[in-house]
Amino acid sequence: MDTLYVLSQLVNGLKLGSVYAMVAIGYSIVYGILRLINFAHGDIMTVAVYTILSLVTIFGLPLWMSIGASVVMAVVVGLIAERTAYRPLRAAGEETTLVSSLAVSIFLQNLMMMIFSPQRKAFHLPENLTFLHNFNGIRLSTMNIITFIAVIVILVILTFVIKRTRVGMAMRACSDNMDASRLMGININHVVVIAFIIGSSLAALSGLMLAGEYKTIDPMMGFVPGLKAFCAAVLGGIGSLGGAVLGGFVLGVAEMLFAGLMPTEITPYRDAFVFVVLILVLMVRPNGILGSREGGRS
Amino acid sequence: MKKTLKKTLLVMLALMLAFAFTGCAKDKSEDEGASPAADTINVGALFNLTGGQASLDQPSYNGFKMAADEINAAGGINGKMIEVKVVDGKTDQASVASAAKKLIDVEKAVVVAGLSDSNYALAAGGVCQSNSIPFITSGATLPTLPEQVGDYAFLAPFGDNVQAYACADYAIDDLKMTKCYLLIDQSMEFTKTLAHFFKERYEEKGGTIVLTDNYMNKDPDFSAQIDRFLADKGGAEILFISGVPDDAGVVVKQFRDKGVTLPIISGDGFDTPLLMEVAGDAANNVYVGTHASLENTDPAVQKFVADYTAVYGHAPENAFAALGYDTMYLIANALKNATDPTDPAAIRDAIGATKNLKGVTGTVTYEEGSRVPTKSVTINKVEGGKFVFQKEVFL
Repeated sequence: MDTLYVLSQLVNGLKLGSVYAMVAIGYSIVYGILRLINFAHGDIMTVAVYTILSLVTIFGLPLWMSIGASVVMAVVVGLIAERTAYRPLRAAGEETTLVSSLAVSIFLQNLMMMIFSPQRKAFHLPENLTFLHNFNGIRLSTMNIITFIAVIVILVILTFVIKRTRVGMAMRACSDNMDASRLMGININHVVVIAFIIGSSLAALSGLMLAGEYKTIDPMMGFVPGLKAFCAAVLGGIGSLGGAVLGGFVLGVAEMLFAGLMPTEITPYRDAFVFVVLILVLMVRPNGILGSREGGRS
Repeated sequence: MKKTLKKTLLVMLALMLAFAFTGCAKDKSEDEGASPAADTINVGALFNLTGGQASLDQPSYNGFKMAADEINAAGGINGKMIEVKVVDGKTDQASVASAAKKLIDVEKAVVVAGLSDSNYALAAGGVCQSNSIPFITSGATLPTLPEQVGDYAFLAPFGDNVQAYACADYAIDDLKMTKCYLLIDQSMEFTKTLAHFFKERYEEKGGTIVLTDNYMNKDPDFSAQIDRFLADKGGAEILFISGVPDDAGVVVKQFRDKGVTLPIISGDGFDTPLLMEVAGDAANNVYVGTHASLENTDPAVQKFVADYTAVYGHAPENAFAALGYDTMYLIANALKNATDPTDPAAIRDAIGATKNLKGVTGTVTYEEGSRVPTKSVTINKVEGGKFVFQKEVFL
């Protein structure tokens, strides 16, 4: 077992982890404020990817324009879901909104199936994005590199927004105590809308990265990555953005090292292994790796 | 506040119900005019028209339906018209089982046929067996399927052992490649069986399996497996990937992206247009052992290709179209010869007695007691985005 081999599996893990991290940030930003586990997050990703595919193949729009449109689309869908399925239930408690987010998820999956058929479709990015760079035998596409950098940049920007701006301050206040924030004159709905706008745009971008990496899309594609990203967010400490990113990378690397280093008889069961790791980590640190005791935003 | 909650939940429930019903409504509208007249014979067509299996099952159903129309245009079965009743199995075992039940109970099918994967064919076969209705799988290749299900189950294609042996023979005898890497989808009965028989034959003929690795259907990421292979190739000359259609393009593309240019060979699970659509040029140098070559100059094959093109506006997507077509003729032949074409037991006996029935995918004979036909295997190779005929292998 030479080091280059372990290194290459590590890179595979980072590649996968950066997609998980991207999705997990979106999860985390909404959860941080509403304590809402938004299961529909992965499906908003799917909506965005199908928007890109139809704009590019049917209307022949250039990719950058379609990506822009897909972000807008994701935000619109996210906000409609917030307005119709989450806001009316906000006072009812976390369990109720959790169930209604599952309903939104199933609704979106079925809607995509009705519009686009459940068939898998090929999804191709332009050559310059899929071009493979060879680093001493380890191959990475331009898209992989962009994804990795994007995750870090987004993390830095969002951390800055949350720690240093008025909006961020309002978000932290809502996260700490929603009722007190309202009494202090913070417009809660306004803050929640901003969280959904950020979360949904990130979902759109992560959808693009996921589909670009694996080159096929189907209406159910968002669900499992969404679930794993949720685990990443829990692992890292849900509500903490840094934790979400860390959790994403830990999960991705753990998955790939397991698949790459264990005997091949057990490697197909890598998802089971990932969830065992999740349980073990949570037994030692119930609030995740970076989570604070109150489970709030750190 | 409580009231709003209740209201919203009600709305959600109503929406979900509405969805469930639109699904039903669609099924019903397709089946209108279903009143079974005495001068028709209802044949159940059970295909996964949506989901991961659709790229095999849709062409297969197209072929099946076309054959029924041909038979009806030529006067039907002793004056009785064949009425094809189709239900979508949705690539889901539970849906397949309830679809089979619907075909038998509601549509009054006297024989049920279809499906291209063993997992689903087993689900459908079980239901048919317990209702004593003959079931012919048009494309599933699990050789033990009839034994597992019972005396009402038949295979229209060859068994996995035959296609796996043919791939092994071709790799060793024709390609002269004796070192092979094996990658198996561990989530499917079909892929496990195929890999098992391939390994058995390949090693028997003096080949070596240098490394075996596994994955699960729909894992989108193969980079761990590929890097493991790159780190320890063991002199592999060829890769056997035992997989199903929805992974075919993805796995091939990722191997090529990591710089693996070796030939890849697989069974009929790779006989799907998705292979070329997803992998593009990367699909070149992939060999597929399957049921027929649509390039075959045999007049029967060419007539089938021409007719299919005329009816559906494009050439047959893969060999499964031909399998569906042949399955309908197999049923028609049995209905003609059955002592009573309305009695499922008589139809079963007539299917079992099929001898030398020539079709597009080869000749069907059920040897005494066997409900799996012996047929030849066609090896196709992807060249320039198309399946190109290489060899017909007889075992």
